[in-house]
Amino acid sequence: MITYREALSEALWEEMERDEDVFLFGEDIGLGGGAFYVTKGFMEKFGRDRVVDVPLSEAGFTGAAIGAALCGMRPVVEFQFADFVTESYKMIVDYAAGNHYRQMGPVPIVLRLPAAALVSAGPFHSQNPEIWFFGTPGLKIVAPTTAYDAKGMLKGAIRDPNPVIFMEYKKFYNYPVDDLPEVLRPEIPEGDYTVPFGEARTLREGDDISLITFGTTVLEALEAAEVLENDGVSVEVIDLRTLVPLDKEAILESVKKTGKILFLHEARKRGGVGGELAAIVSEEVFEYLDAPVRRIGAPEAHVPLSPPLERAYLPSTEKVVNELRDLAAF
Amino acid sequence: MDAKYPLATREELAGLDFYADLADRYLAVDGLEARWVSFTQKEILPDRETAERMHYLVSLARAVEETLDSAFRAGHIPGTAFFGRGNEGASVASAMCLEDHEWLVPMHRNCGAHLAKGHPPRSIMSHFFGRADGPSGGRDGNFHMGYRPKRITQLISHIGTMVPIATGVAWAAKARGKGEATINYIGDGGTSAGDFHEAVNFAAVRKLPLVIIIDNNQYAYKTLLSDQYACDALVLKAPGYGLPGFLIDGTNAPLVHHVCSQALARARAGGGPTLIESITLRAAGHSVYDKFADYVDMAHFEKWTNERDPIKRLDETLIEFGVMTAKEVAASHDQARKDAEDARDEALQSPMPDPAGLTEGVFAE
Repeated sequence: MITYREALSEALWEEMERDEDVFLFGEDIGLGGGAFYVTKGFMEKFGRDRVVDVPLSEAGFTGAAIGAALCGMRPVVEFQFADFVTESYKMIVDYAAGNHYRQMGPVPIVLRLPAAALVSAGPFHSQNPEIWFFGTPGLKIVAPTTAYDAKGMLKGAIRDPNPVIFMEYKKFYNYPVDDLPEVLRPEIPEGDYTVPFGEARTLREGDDISLITFGTTVLEALEAAEVLENDGVSVEVIDLRTLVPLDKEAILESVKKTGKILFLHEARKRGGVGGELAAIVSEEVFEYLDAPVRRIGAPEAHVPLSPPLERAYLPSTEKVVNELRDLAAF
Repeated sequence: MDAKYPLATREELAGLDFYADLADRYLAVDGLEARWVSFTQKEILPDRETAERMHYLVSLARAVEETLDSAFRAGHIPGTAFFGRGNEGASVASAMCLEDHEWLVPMHRNCGAHLAKGHPPRSIMSHFFGRADGPSGGRDGNFHMGYRPKRITQLISHIGTMVPIATGVAWAAKARGKGEATINYIGDGGTSAGDFHEAVNFAAVRKLPLVIIIDNNQYAYKTLLSDQYACDALVLKAPGYGLPGFLIDGTNAPLVHHVCSQALARARAGGGPTLIESITLRAAGHSVYDKFADYVDMAHFEKWTNERDPIKRLDETLIEFGVMTAKEVAASHDQARKDAEDARDEALQSPMPDPAGLTEGVFAE
């Protein structure tokens, strides 16, 4: 089994071998192999014109990637940390996202965003960027949590004719494979494969409560479901895998079965994706609900650095367990 | 370089007068040296075929924009409209140096560049009128448009963003190794945006085949140049990036063509980017809503629009040197006017977009 980081490397390597139009822009990705070594050894193989150490200029190199994409190339842009994507916001939201809608052609570009908290990474190296993009039409937003998904979805993103916000989780990069729950280490097939966007994955089937999550919190979700099982409560855990397109049916079908639903994400609760999903559930399957729709997200604070603060900020298994118990008792 | 190309002194640069100092020379900046290059109008004249085409396109640019302006006042244009009056010569003369398969990355005062690159007036009109058959199908308007059949990218309102886009277009050209070059325009205001810096630096670092033309039309909406930058001329930024630069009178279309052809040839040959500062005067408001007389020095405005109108200058120069007769020049204007008005009349017959298609095309398939 390979790690999540190795899976990303394999995807990039194979796509660059497959298609000469695929190239990489990013800070320190060539000579240094990237801050997280996803592209280690790439420059030696593909050369400095396809593995490009760009000047420190996120807006500039994102714009350049978009320009190359307009000409039919397939740029993959690595942000050193997802947080820095705010530098490129207008390029993505105003230029890339609407270009096809304005009938000016497709923008096949992948924006790799190393996202979410990693122990004490602080306010500018820990953010979850999806809420900055979720309200903008024309952007696909994907959030692989396993090595299998990381590889298959990155390949899919590179072949997709649209701009793709590709969130990859620093926490999973080097996560020891043997320490992962069985369900988070599916076998990676030999050879080429892609993971289609818009298909959620049920990590654990259950009948009493639907627990819908994505990103790093799949870990807390699975642990909490385990705890609830000991309580005699059966929790269904679903990893959305992609936010746009959204597998709405998977959410609705699950809650129609269980009657209770909890949305969980690492990003802040206010303005988080969970709010939109909760509204969808309320609008479309209200009659199936046996309890209020619940959400867990980070509180109204910036991601703090010091360990006790960060622990208090991040959704924990304990918080999820408490919420699930509360729902179970409702 | 020798005595034929005298060094510009510190005093000359500090006291640059765009009107007087660029009349029969331009400034070539290379490294720490800025030199004056004198020319005669005769020696920079293009051949007859090029001149005729240039004249028609310059006339067409003005005719299209004047037709659009009256269409706006007649209520045919939703939203607003921005025009490039005063910039037609620079716009046309530069873009017509591009080959058909090369890309143009325009700004919102580049009607002439669109036309020179082959964007049909009919399509431009439909776009301004918000019609279904315009290049954006009514999803955007005014000069927020590209035209993919002729390799023209679209722009967004965020000034500065097109320079990074242009570096990417040039990147693709270089990566594919077919010796293609790209032209991009940015205004004097746009040079203050961070994107400009990021993009020019990147283009220089990677020696991209790109010609960046700063259309310095002396106003960024209602802001004076003295509030926009403190260097003596924007072209002096070029050496800071390791690039050569030229400061030229952009109302002299043959000169623009002369300088731009050389910059493109250099780019195509792998020599890297060139920065050209082209001086014009925005001979109208920022947009159709702008009461520019409130803040523009009208004596300066009158002087430039009377004596540095690019179209009048081209008329006179082509007649003076016998490239075209007065009669041919008049006929070229008439043809341009007719073509613009025909395009308007046809576009006004085009259907409006169907709201049923509102959410179509958000994603490419």
